[in-house]
Amino acid sequence: MQQKLKTATVGTAKTLKMIAPMLLAVIGLIGLFKTYITPEMLRTLFNGSALHDMLVGVGFGGISVGQPFLSYIIGGELLKEGASFYGVTAFILAFVTLGVVQLPMEFSIFGFRFALVRNLLSLLFAFILAFLIAFCVRMFA
Amino acid sequence: MKKNRSGLVMLGIVVLLYLVLGLLYPDKTVAALGESFGVLKMIIPILLLVFFLMALLNAYIDEKAISRHMGEESGVKGWLLALFGGILSHGPGYVWYPLLQNLREQGAKERLIVAFIYARAIKIPWIPLMITYFGWTFTLVYTFWMVVGAWLQGIVAQRLLRK
Repeated sequence: MQQKLKTATVGTAKTLKMIAPMLLAVIGLIGLFKTYITPEMLRTLFNGSALHDMLVGVGFGGISVGQPFLSYIIGGELLKEGASFYGVTAFILAFVTLGVVQLPMEFSIFGFRFALVRNLLSLLFAFILAFLIAFCVRMFA
Repeated sequence: MKKNRSGLVMLGIVVLLYLVLGLLYPDKTVAALGESFGVLKMIIPILLLVFFLMALLNAYIDEKAISRHMGEESGVKGWLLALFGGILSHGPGYVWYPLLQNLREQGAKERLIVAFIYARAIKIPWIPLMITYFGWTFTLVYTFWMVVGAWLQGIVAQRLLRK
């Protein structure tokens, strides 16, 4: 037990060290974003209609790369700035389930057909689930 | 190692951006730096918790055992293994994909492989961060629909792949 806890602590420090540069970079960008991009500017991107916001969210999420937690931070800040739940949820879903950059690797490992079906379904599911999640959250909140 | 370098490059670009913007608009850029510190201060404690949870999972979960069982089981047990295995799996896709393809070649159901990959989008260690930003309601609703989504995607994918 103690040995495992020790391994876990060392592992924690290692992960933190590995992730630190990207984390600081993204947080630095968020700072710039918050000061230079006004809510009005953001509203031209996310205009409040569910479908439009989800399209924008999936588009940006799908082409972004990185650890899933980056999407939580970016999504959370977007929400604070006034983006809709539909758009932010779609962004997070696309970010964590779609990886345009990873596609060639997936094709080479699983074969073209399997990877294509899986990714097209994930694209479709990003819209369906974003809608369901945002809808339910609005109902409960 | 490769990932580490991309982080450093990205950090370099951001530092450069700050320097350039700092020369052009000093006041705004200092304010931006303040905003960044605010975010950093808020998430550091959560990140420490997250990484500790991750490392604990790492020490207790044997991915080979998960994947071995997934290859053998089907039915309800197979689904549960695929969904929970995906949720508990950690590490990058390029570690898991060859393992999963291997199972597929040995006859594991395609619906389970697809469900496993989708369920990987739920990351237990990151849940504290998600709660901080979005609250309990969102986190629970999100997790629930992701599990349902993984299950449904597995079923639809198998239908499509069979044709």
